[in-house]
Amino acid sequence: MDAFAALPEEINHLVAEFSSAPVAGDLTVGLTQYSFWLLVAAVVFAVVMAVFVKKQTLVPRGVFVNGVEYLIEYVQNDVAKGVVGTGWRRHFPFLATIFLFILINNFIGLIPGCKPGTGAIGCTAALALVTFVYFVYFGCKKHGVIGYLKSLAPAGVAFPMNVFVWVIEVFSLLLRPITLAIRLFCNMFAGHIVMGSFSIMAAIFAEPLLEHFSAMNAVGALPSLAWLAILLIIYAVELIVAFVQAYVFTVLAAVYIQIAEAEGH
Amino acid sequence: MGVIGYGLGVIGAGLAIGLAAFGATGAMARQPEIQGRAFTVFILASAFAEALGLIGFVLTLIS
Repeated sequence: MDAFAALPEEINHLVAEFSSAPVAGDLTVGLTQYSFWLLVAAVVFAVVMAVFVKKQTLVPRGVFVNGVEYLIEYVQNDVAKGVVGTGWRRHFPFLATIFLFILINNFIGLIPGCKPGTGAIGCTAALALVTFVYFVYFGCKKHGVIGYLKSLAPAGVAFPMNVFVWVIEVFSLLLRPITLAIRLFCNMFAGHIVMGSFSIMAAIFAEPLLEHFSAMNAVGALPSLAWLAILLIIYAVELIVAFVQAYVFTVLAAVYIQIAEAEGH
Repeated sequence: MGVIGYGLGVIGAGLAIGLAAFGATGAMARQPEIQGRAFTVFILASAFAEALGLIGFVLTLIS
């Protein structure tokens, strides 16, 4: 049972490792480990897109071109056409950019040793803020500023209730970017903490065996196999989560754009 | 204390994911041809519910 004695300290160390720390400069001006991986993801994104554009032929060939095309068509058909509806063509570039950027960030975070750029609240808040400004801008463009503010309350509600509903709708509007940011951040952060804790568990039980080989220690290391199996399952789940969270963010952005542009909401 | 709080908070998320799975399996049993779409909606709904549980988890860790 002395294996568990070291656990709280290890977990604290793990959590401290995951909070933003500057690698160059300081926290005001400089790079944290998250913004470093964010830049890496941006470069990867740019390279993937450049190669994709260069390799594009009339009939797509190869795994790479077909794969990227499948992702883009997925956003186009499922998110842009399916959720935004008419006028999807104008919003498709924004939605595809957000989807692919978050997807690449999440997947880079899953490579052992790398960190997800979206695992810091600052990054997701920036993404959510961009989305917020984007859909408010298009709402204002469609209805006019006054018209947009009026369209927040549903038409056909009698006068005193009208104001009440409007206030509630304004609150829900302001809560949208916050929930977008927190959902993505919490999923990436918590997912990596959980994976980290399970690998710590696996390491703690195997540690005596690595230091000194004996039958007693070999039996003591058996639980670490179980922890390793759970770790692999969690890793598989995280692969799904990385995709689903990018998808959820994009779908919600599309829904908000659709609501902002809708007639007589 | 924080761990107890997380345990309390996760009850809601657990109930929500359970309800989503209940609805999805019910729909799939009634209409097997809707399986693909129902599964997508189920994953989406559980992602929403899961986020609430994770907020509790992260708050326990950072506060």
